[in-house]
Amino acid sequence: MGNFLSSFITTATIDPNKKDLNAGTVSSVVITGIVVVFIALILLIVCVSIYGAIFNAAAKKKAAKAEAEKKAAELAKAKTVLPVPKVEAVPAIEDGIEEETVAVIMAAIAAMSASAGKKLVLKSVKTSRPQRSAWSSAGIAENTRPF
Amino acid sequence: MSIISSFLDTMAALARESGFAGFMADGGWKNIVMILISFVFMYLAIARGFEPLLLLPISFGMLLTNLPYADLYHPDFWNYQTVGDNSHYIDYGNILQHGGLLDILYMGVKLQIYPPLIFLGIGAMTDFGPLIASPRSFLMGAAAQGGIFFTFVGAAILGMSAAECGSIAIIGGADGPTSIYVSSKLLTDKSTIGVGTIALAAYTYMALVPIIQPPIMKALTTKKERSVVMGQLRPVSKTEKLIFPVLVTIIISLMVPSAAPLVGMLMFGNLLKESGCCDRLVKTAQNELMNIITIFLGVTVGATTQADKIMNLQFAEVMGLGVVAFSIGTACGVLLGKLMYIVSGKTINPLIGSAGVSAVPMAARVSQKVGQEEVPTNYLLMHAMGPNVAGVIGSAVAAGVLLAIVK
Repeated sequence: MGNFLSSFITTATIDPNKKDLNAGTVSSVVITGIVVVFIALILLIVCVSIYGAIFNAAAKKKAAKAEAEKKAAELAKAKTVLPVPKVEAVPAIEDGIEEETVAVIMAAIAAMSASAGKKLVLKSVKTSRPQRSAWSSAGIAENTRPF
Repeated sequence: MSIISSFLDTMAALARESGFAGFMADGGWKNIVMILISFVFMYLAIARGFEPLLLLPISFGMLLTNLPYADLYHPDFWNYQTVGDNSHYIDYGNILQHGGLLDILYMGVKLQIYPPLIFLGIGAMTDFGPLIASPRSFLMGAAAQGGIFFTFVGAAILGMSAAECGSIAIIGGADGPTSIYVSSKLLTDKSTIGVGTIALAAYTYMALVPIIQPPIMKALTTKKERSVVMGQLRPVSKTEKLIFPVLVTIIISLMVPSAAPLVGMLMFGNLLKESGCCDRLVKTAQNELMNIITIFLGVTVGATTQADKIMNLQFAEVMGLGVVAFSIGTACGVLLGKLMYIVSGKTINPLIGSAGVSAVPMAARVSQKVGQEEVPTNYLLMHAMGPNVAGVIGSAVAAGVLLAIVK
């Protein structure tokens, strides 16, 4: 392919200082240019698609295998361990706190615990009371402000 | 009394040798006009933010080179001589001995060192993931190179030489380093335009991408086509990203060997980035090396903009053909996008085709913006990055083709 193209290109070389290029020369530049650019990039499409498909298939196979192993392990576990009725701990929610707020807190905890590899449980939600009054907070802020 | 007369003589001699006298000399007014033009480009870079990282060094180089008697740059040193059967001989020994600061730095442009090194930095900053996930984007990157070749026709009709046609046409690739690479290799001392003219036109239009492209994109597409919402791209594994630069280097360099310096360095930079084991090299390629080369490239390319190469009809023709090249490139990309919209069963938004002209990442951002004008929740950016980076590879291939034909 490379030899074919290079022979195609070299047969039509033009001197840089040549002026008044005729229609034949100009159209050969346009056709050669567009054809070579398309051939090069289509060749890349073919190669990238092929190895993309191979890797995609491999990734899917791996994922399917992992999924099957997980299911098998769960099944084995279910067979050996007697099913114990699971009691879901209901978090103690203080009155006045909306369900949506609790859902947001639980989602945040779930997201953090999943990345840390732990499973955390929300036990209670209550409003915190400010330890200092607004006036004393303002006084501390004023005294500790960097100068 | 003799002391006073000798003092006056010395002062008169100093005045005659000063740059001010140079302005009064034959043709000195041209330098003044060029310095004023450099102020315009400085204004565009600083106040309007037109590609300031390159336009500011270019405009300052333009100022330096037009200061009479400063001898920073000598255009006559760069004239080709015929030695034996080599008609493109340049006496680098003479330049090293007698050249000014900008002559020495300009060797990096003339010897084609700076543009590939800039490509190294670009490669180290580019994520080819969207292109690997959607390889069909390559087609749009190829189509947008149509601007290059159709502008070649326009320049030929205006009676320009083959070197000038090629240099102007490559502006349509919307890729500054590629334009400088091609024009510095093609243009000879007989050419009426210089590398600086090409660089100025290329960078000015690259800065104007958000103004030039949207009207063309809207004129060529219907509201329905612009409203196509594209789904998420598949995730790309690290191994795929590692194979890509090696594969592209081998295929493109074997097909179009003259594109090897640009594509090779682009992909080398990308391999460094994707390897994940050369952080120090990647940081240097992305930052320090890139910045140093940008300064050298900008200031020396600006130095080539001498009065006689700018203040002629050809400069206006270059600027005119440059915008034509850009517009045709955009139109070709969008039209191929439309074709793919039909072939894919209306799942591809044709707006991403315009990003096929390189101008990374500006052209992709324009696709995103025009798409969001129709559907505010449509995120085309990652889809447009595919044709955008394919455009960089495509314009390097087109440059290789031009260099292989015109020599």
